Amino acid sequence: MSEVPSTDEAMSAAQGTSSLVIDIRGATKVFNPGKSNQVEALDEIDLSVVSGEFITLIGPSGCGKSTLLRLVASLIPPSTGTVQVNDKPAEQARLDRDYGMAFQTAGLFDWRTVTKNIELPLELMGWSKGDRRRRASEMLELVKLSEFAKHHPNELSGGMQQRVAIARALAFSPSLLLMDEPFGALDEMTREHMQDELLRIWEETETTVVFVTHSIPEAVYLSTRVVVMSPRPGTIASTINVDLGDRSTATRDDPAFFKKVTEVRIALREVEG
Amino acid sequence: MNALKGFSAPIVAGVVLFGLWQGVLSLFNPDGFVLPAPSEIVGALIENWDEVYQGARITGFVVVSGLIAGIILGILAALLVTRFRTANETITPLAVAVNAIPIIALAPIFNNWFGLTSPRSNQAIVVALVFFPIFINTARGLTQVDRSQVELMESYAASRSRITREVRIPNAMPFFFTALKLATSLAVIAAIVAEYFGGRQDALGPMITQSAGLTRYDEAWAAVLAGTAIGAVLYFAVLVLERVAMPWHSLIRAHGDDK
Ligand SMILES: Nc1ncnc2c1ncn2[C@@H]1O[C@H](COP(=O)(O)OP(=O)(O)OP(=O)(O)O)[C@@H](O)[C@H]1O
Ligand SMILES: [Mg+2]
Repeated sequence: MSEVPSTDEAMSAAQGTSSLVIDIRGATKVFNPGKSNQVEALDEIDLSVVSGEFITLIGPSGCGKSTLLRLVASLIPPSTGTVQVNDKPAEQARLDRDYGMAFQTAGLFDWRTVTKNIELPLELMGWSKGDRRRRASEMLELVKLSEFAKHHPNELSGGMQQRVAIARALAFSPSLLLMDEPFGALDEMTREHMQDELLRIWEETETTVVFVTHSIPEAVYLSTRVVVMSPRPGTIASTINVDLGDRSTATRDDPAFFKKVTEVRIALREVEG
Repeated sequence: MNALKGFSAPIVAGVVLFGLWQGVLSLFNPDGFVLPAPSEIVGALIENWDEVYQGARITGFVVVSGLIAGIILGILAALLVTRFRTANETITPLAVAVNAIPIIALAPIFNNWFGLTSPRSNQAIVVALVFFPIFINTARGLTQVDRSQVELMESYAASRSRITREVRIPNAMPFFFTALKLATSLAVIAAIVAEYFGGRQDALGPMITQSAGLTRYDEAWAAVLAGTAIGAVLYFAVLVLERVAMPWHSLIRAHGDDK
C-alpha cells in the first residue's frame, strides 16, 4: 500500500452536525474469513455523508466500491465497525425503506414488462394501481423509453435495460440514492443526458446520492465530493471537494472542470502506483 | 396459433418417414412378419378399436394421474427444501443419488406391495419417476437466482415469501418445464413397461405382450401407436402450458427464430 489516507475538511466538518445521512466508522469487510478463499475487501473505512451531498466513489476495479455500497444498503454486514444511516443502524434504514438502489448489473425481472419492473418497488410499498401506472409512465418518459413500456427486458439492449433500472431506482423518490455504475452501459450522449437528469432530480428532490463510477469526468461533473479508494483491501485514499456551481453543457468545457479532473486523476494514479 | 408453427416440419418429416416405411416393406417384406406396414397397423387399430381405446384410457389414466401427483409432490418438496438451507444441502444430493436408481426395475417389487392386478403399483412407478426430475430441477431453479435480483428485493425490505413469489418461482419456471417435458415422455414409457409386470390386464402394456406372444405384431404395434398418441398429446399440452405460463420466455425464442 502506498499512501496513508489524507484528512478531509468536509468530513470532519460533517462529524459535528446532526444531519448525517451516512455515518460509517471503522468498517472493515472480510469475505469468507478463515477460509482459503478469504478476501479482505475493505479496511478501516470512515465516511460521513451529509444530507444533500452527492458523493462519488472511484477506484481501481475490485477495490471494494460495490462492497461499500452494499454495507450502506445493509445487504451485507460489516466484519467490524458500524454503519449508521439516517441516525439508525443501516439494517433499520433498509427495513424502513430509506434508500433506493441501482445495481451494477441491471437486475431486471424478465418475467415482468418494463412498466411492471418500474412498478415493483411501488407495489412493495403499497401504492395504488393508478398511482403506480402514473409514476411508471413519468419515469419511462424521463429515461426516454415510453414506447417500450409493454416490452420485456430481454427485448431491450443493455443500455436500455440500465435505463429501466435507473427509472426503477428513482421511482419512489427515495431520500438516499445508492447507485453502482448505473451509466456504465450507456453511449456517451445518453450518458450525458442521464447525468443532467440525475442532477436535476437531485436538486429538485434534495436527495443524497452515493454514486460509484469508473469515469473521472463523470465523477467530477456529478459530485460535490469525490472519494478516491485504494486497491484491495479498499481504504479511502483521499477525498476531493468539487464546487462547480450550476452545471450545464458549458461546465464540461470549463477550465475549473478540467482542473478537478486532473486532480482526481493524480489521486488515482497515486493509489494505483 | 404460434405453438403450432414449430410443428409443420416434424409433421412433414413424419409423413415422409411413414411413406418410406410403407414403400420399402411392400417391396421387400410383403408378409410383414417382423415389421408390419403402417397400413396393416392402422388396419389392426381399426379392427381392435374398442380394446385399444379401452387400453389407452386405462394406461392414459395411470400416466396422467401419476404425472400430476409426481409434479405436485416434486414442486412441494422443492419449495420445502429450498426454504431451509440445511435441508437443501442434505436432501438434494440424496435425491440426485436416489434418482440414479433405475426405478422402472422396481416394477415387480411394487406389484408385490400394491397387489398384482392393482394399477396402483403402476401409478406409483410413474409418480416416483416423475418426482425426481421435477424435484431436482425445480429446486435448482428456485436457488440459482440472480444475486442482484434478490438483493434488490432485500433493499426494498421485501419479505422472504415475497422474494420467493417475485424472484424464485418465476426463475424456476424454465427449469420446471424442461424437467416436465422429460418427465412426460418418461411417464408413458414407465407406465407401459410397468404394466408388463402387473396391474390391469386390459391396459396397453399387457395388450402388447399378449399380442406379441401370439405373433399378432400388427395388434402389438397398434397398442404402441396408442401409447405414442398419449405421449404426443401430453407433450403438446406441456408446450402449450409452457407458453401460457411463461410468455416472456417465448420472446427469447421468437427473437432467435427471426434472425
Ligand atoms: N460476496 C462475495 N464473496 C466473496 N468475495 C467477494 C464478494 N463480493 C465481493 N468480493 C470480493 O471483494 C472485492 C471487492 O469487490 P467489489 O465488488 O466491491 O469491487 P468493486 O470496487 O465494486 O469492483 P468493480 O469496479 O470491478 O465493480 C473483490 O476482490 C471481490 O472478489
Ligand atoms: Mg463494483
